[in-house]
Amino acid sequence: MKLLDPTVVANCSPNYRAPALTDLKNKTIGLLSNRKLNADLLLQETAICLQQRHGGRILKMAHKLNPSAPAPTETLTNLAPECDYLLTATGD
Amino acid sequence: MAARPNIHEVDDDLLSAIDYCYEQGWTDGLPVVPPEASRVAAMCAMEGRPDETVLVHHPATGLALTVHALGINAVMAGCLPEYFPVLIAAFEAMGKERFNFHGSTASTGGSAPLIIVSGPVVDEIGMNAGVNLFGPGNRANATIGRAVRLTLMNVFRMIPGISDKSTQGNPGKYSFCIGERNDVNPWPSLTEEQGYPDGVSSVTVFAGAGFCNVENHGGNSPESILDSVADSMANYGCISLGQSIVVLAPEHVKIIAAAGWSKTDVQEYLFVNARRPVDGMKRVGKFVDGEYRKQGQNDMHRGLSASDILVTVGGGDAGGHSAFIPSWSRSRGSIMQHQAIGVCIDC
Repeated sequence: MKLLDPTVVANCSPNYRAPALTDLKNKTIGLLSNRKLNADLLLQETAICLQQRHGGRILKMAHKLNPSAPAPTETLTNLAPECDYLLTATGD
Repeated sequence: MAARPNIHEVDDDLLSAIDYCYEQGWTDGLPVVPPEASRVAAMCAMEGRPDETVLVHHPATGLALTVHALGINAVMAGCLPEYFPVLIAAFEAMGKERFNFHGSTASTGGSAPLIIVSGPVVDEIGMNAGVNLFGPGNRANATIGRAVRLTLMNVFRMIPGISDKSTQGNPGKYSFCIGERNDVNPWPSLTEEQGYPDGVSSVTVFAGAGFCNVENHGGNSPESILDSVADSMANYGCISLGQSIVVLAPEHVKIIAAAGWSKTDVQEYLFVNARRPVDGMKRVGKFVDGEYRKQGQNDMHRGLSASDILVTVGGGDAGGHSAFIPSWSRSRGSIMQHQAIGVCIDC
């Protein structure tokens, strides 16, 4: 009997990890909120802690439109050249 | 276009094939019909487009659902080929951005896609719109709903505990599919409300967070019955800015319609009365200032307006039991969608 496999393979372009930072000293911190309750507060406080320890500048927070949908490509491509690392979080 | 599926050669023994499907992790926990090639071909033959046609993309993973992959999962669920157009339309509706099927499936909220079929196809394929509406016993209802779940699991990899993080889930995650009852419906059908031409059927998809039975055998006026429904909609566990489905039982509909109420009257009455005071919302820790301001009412109501409440008719002739189904989670992460079945309206 021939059975057909009900699963599929993702047909998307390969993704690559960004090279890891060697340290956080004076690095620019990006923030991406998912708009969940308290997410903005959690991100802001985390960024301040990191800034106090390692220095660097905190960018204005960006927001996703929907917590459970991927961030729009434009949001990510705008953030990528502006920051050295990005914090994103769920807050509830 | 997506790649054709792998073929698994197994012994010509049905029980062994069922066990093989379990071993591959292809089931929802219940036995499946082994997806034998000729059955899949018969299923896919009900769709006019090529097997490789992509119906839905999954934004989170890049996975794509083809006609062929859906046909395989439909066979496994036990669908007959004549059910396939309903399933196609259901996924086309779920693929619309505002339905957000990834979020509603992956979330701790544990919702399940409720599939409501309206129009002549309900009778044509023998769907149940009557007694034991949400229960077992009807092949079309049971297997269309089940095929949705198998497809979410097998194609989109929404696997419980991995990418489906439902805290408790709900029984509708096995199957959640009903027909709209037409013979005792005094109001326009969902298909008519949605603006489809005569003779066209439609499917409505809704991320349903559970099921609430609304019992009222003593109320003999629209207000008394609908106050019971509104109170269910506004319970502190359910109230949110989300949408609502209300399936009114024939006994309740008869009383409401006899008083001259239209469906719009029902929706408006429910919106006005499904509410909680701000102090109460604060007391239970569910008051969100931004949502309150967005709604613009004195109290917190369920939804943003009367049009957020879909009202339909279903169930057996006897019994004062209607149903309220809340939408997924706390707000408006998924908005219900609809799609014509078996026809392309705008192409």
